[in-house]
Amino acid sequence: MGAASNELHRPSTGSRAFAALVCLAAWVVFALLLVELARRPFPWQFSRAWAPSLGLEFALRVDGLSALMLLLITGVGACVFTYAAGYLAHDPRRTRILAQLSLFLVAMVGCVSADNVLLLFLCWEATSLLSFLLVGTNYQDEDARKSAQQALFITGVGGLFLLAGLLLLAQLGGSHSLAVLLARGPELVSEPLFPYAFAALVIGCMTKSAQFPFHFWLPNAMAAPTPVSAYLHSATMVKLGVYLLARLHVGFGAWPGWALTLVPIGALTATWAMVLALRERDLKRILARSTVGALGTLFMLIGLPGEGAALATVAFLLAHALYKAPLFFVAGNVDHAVGTRIIDRLGGLRHALPFSAAAALLAGVSMAGVPLSFGYLAKDAIKAAKSGSDTLPWLLTVAQSNRVVAALSVAVAAVAAVRVFWKHPGVNEHCDAREGGAAMVLPPLALACAGIVFGLFPGLIEPLLVQAAGAMLPGGAGAQLTLGQGGSEVLAAATLALALGALAYFAWDPLHRLLERRLFDDRFALAGLYRAGLDGLPRLAAFCTRAVQHGRLPEYVALILALAIAPIAAAVWCADGVDLGPLPAPELAHAGAAALIAAGALSACFVTSRLLLLLASGLVGYGSAVLFLFSGAPDLAFTQFVVESVFVVVVASSLLAMRRVTHLRSVVEPRVRPLAAVLSLAFGAAIAALVLWVAAQPFDAATSEYFKSAALPQAHGRNVVNVVIVDFRGLDTLGESAVVLFSFLAALPLLQALRGARGRNAA
Amino acid sequence: MLALALALAVTCAAGAYLATSRDVLRAVIGLSLLGSAVNLVLLAAGRLGPSAPPILEEGRSAFGAVANPLPQALVLTAIVIGFALTCFALVLVLRLMQAARVDDTAQLRFAEPPAVDTVKPPEESDELAERTDGAAALRRRDEPC
Repeated sequence: MGAASNELHRPSTGSRAFAALVCLAAWVVFALLLVELARRPFPWQFSRAWAPSLGLEFALRVDGLSALMLLLITGVGACVFTYAAGYLAHDPRRTRILAQLSLFLVAMVGCVSADNVLLLFLCWEATSLLSFLLVGTNYQDEDARKSAQQALFITGVGGLFLLAGLLLLAQLGGSHSLAVLLARGPELVSEPLFPYAFAALVIGCMTKSAQFPFHFWLPNAMAAPTPVSAYLHSATMVKLGVYLLARLHVGFGAWPGWALTLVPIGALTATWAMVLALRERDLKRILARSTVGALGTLFMLIGLPGEGAALATVAFLLAHALYKAPLFFVAGNVDHAVGTRIIDRLGGLRHALPFSAAAALLAGVSMAGVPLSFGYLAKDAIKAAKSGSDTLPWLLTVAQSNRVVAALSVAVAAVAAVRVFWKHPGVNEHCDAREGGAAMVLPPLALACAGIVFGLFPGLIEPLLVQAAGAMLPGGAGAQLTLGQGGSEVLAAATLALALGALAYFAWDPLHRLLERRLFDDRFALAGLYRAGLDGLPRLAAFCTRAVQHGRLPEYVALILALAIAPIAAAVWCADGVDLGPLPAPELAHAGAAALIAAGALSACFVTSRLLLLLASGLVGYGSAVLFLFSGAPDLAFTQFVVESVFVVVVASSLLAMRRVTHLRSVVEPRVRPLAAVLSLAFGAAIAALVLWVAAQPFDAATSEYFKSAALPQAHGRNVVNVVIVDFRGLDTLGESAVVLFSFLAALPLLQALRGARGRNAA
Repeated sequence: MLALALALAVTCAAGAYLATSRDVLRAVIGLSLLGSAVNLVLLAAGRLGPSAPPILEEGRSAFGAVANPLPQALVLTAIVIGFALTCFALVLVLRLMQAARVDDTAQLRFAEPPAVDTVKPPEESDELAERTDGAAALRRRDEPC
């Protein structure tokens, strides 16, 4: 990935300075955090008014759990930045990736230290967005684009669930402060709406932490450059879901639904992910599957009741970050040196990459849970958690699935650490592979060594872990927790896991071939649904567009008519017994005008000749003019007469023009179109009913009276209609005149074209 | 009012019937009829009152029983605009018929050609132009002679 553009790009001074600055800043932040940890007791609090009118504040609160996450974010972050600076040294995108990683670090710090739920949500979404950008770093590659989109969709939709859950919780608890809400936890769980809030929160956490059935996005996110995968998709971002649930544990952990939900989800995810890991050949994807497995284990541990489970959660959280990030680094080193991550083509790299091999071995030892490593202590704590709670026997049965996970973890560790570096390759094709330099070697070594050092001297990290576990437990319980409780029983279990893992390691290739052809996960789980949905969405949009915008003019008109009829018909239907008032016999003049109009309209429908059609429509106009004349509207009558007379001229010239339209293929329509007739009659009836109903309503003449009384004194005009048009509403009239003018201007070129065509025809 | 309502019913129905026609010229006339009908609806909404026009005679400063001036003011401009619209539409339709040599709206589909793909919107292509003779005719017209 990074190796592709080697030798092509020499980093500029600015780029180098930026990389150095970012790394330095990360290390300084990490060091400052360590100093603060030693100096100040928890909780650290900070609060500023943000939007007081909404009751929002920029509130941060750091306790043991947050501090552990902060330590991971900044510590692993500093290693990742250093590693990225070396890994991407010859990559023109280095500055961009480092900038995005820095932003991501800030968002993560905000996420784990936020006390305000909305601040938490904002930072949470920021991490999703930055994950999208970082996964899509190789945006020229279609797979990378699709993976980035998938990661964004899944975590983004989950983010919406999270928002709903947080807001509902805040509504129930009457506060936006997480600490206040958790303190009220025991009251909140009895609220009828609490299960919905809980479900929304869990779904949000499940998408972020890639729990079944949302597990498929994480392996695909491996399209990101390796430093990004190491940081976002193993050590930090995907742990956000775990972090939030651990944070909520203190308030809601005692609720019966808690364990009932989380333990099965976690156990299923862990087991399934480890089985799927056997199907992969790409080293990074194998590691990603095992990351999903670890996240599932963490979900399960959070779900288990008891104080030991809290300690196991935080211990395993730390252990996983300390061994998985170095393994990713090593996978990146292998990729960088050899140009492939497919394990079939790798082997015997210990001579070419001795430091990477050492780091992989140390990390692998911790991952496998070999005694004296921190991974062993975590395993020990998990064992204690499972035996410490005897309230729900079936939960423990489910939790036994952890044995399979442990064994397969050993196999994955062996593949990443032993197979790649020690197994004899079939062909010796990697003899020119070299280590990438100190920046790429030291970070994995440092993290892997930390995993061993903490295993040898658990006292170094135990106080923080106990504080973190204490933050998950109500009432400051868990102060007496210690690591390394188990005796021979744990040792026996670890040995069993190692033996089973070794078996799985040696049977890796047959197992792979067995599972490779089973595509059930891709096709039938949510992954298939996601793909179908993504394909179906544009189809649905196209279908809707086509159903509405089909290009058939008569149907457009019909739809408009139907939509005009519907509300009138509904109103008539609902109104019972509308009093239309007395309907006096019409005056003779009105009746005559009405007859003229009706005759014109009817004949327009039935004539076939174009000339008669146009003249019949003119008859409607003349009828209207007569009606205006006898309704006290002489202005209208004269205007209508003039218009209709000019219309006759237009009609005559139109027909002359049309005579020259030769070879016209006229549409053949049936004389009577029943559907259109029914619709038209309904429309006519609706309008007539509307007019009658309006006329029966009491009349408010205020506006008319105002114009009548104001015409003479204000506008010095005696014809009220004229005064309204040219004076009171003069600006409107100007606009309307402009409409007439523009329609003439628009018709002009068309007329010229008509005439030009005529001239050409004559010639 | 009853006579007016009946005339309106007939005019609206006739206008709607013509507007749903596939013959583009009839559709235009249908719209024009609907425009006339709307003018009458406006007038009716202001009530058919006294038949004296709202014009103040010389020497008088107050009105007796006169017709409602408000709908008249509205309708007056509507008449002119409706006329301009009808004339423009007529010229447009004539030009269209002259160019495409067809007056069937089902074949005048330059703006919204029939779909060729299940998802993608249709593009103007030569193949499409062949199928809609109108577009080909338009193209022929634009060539210099």
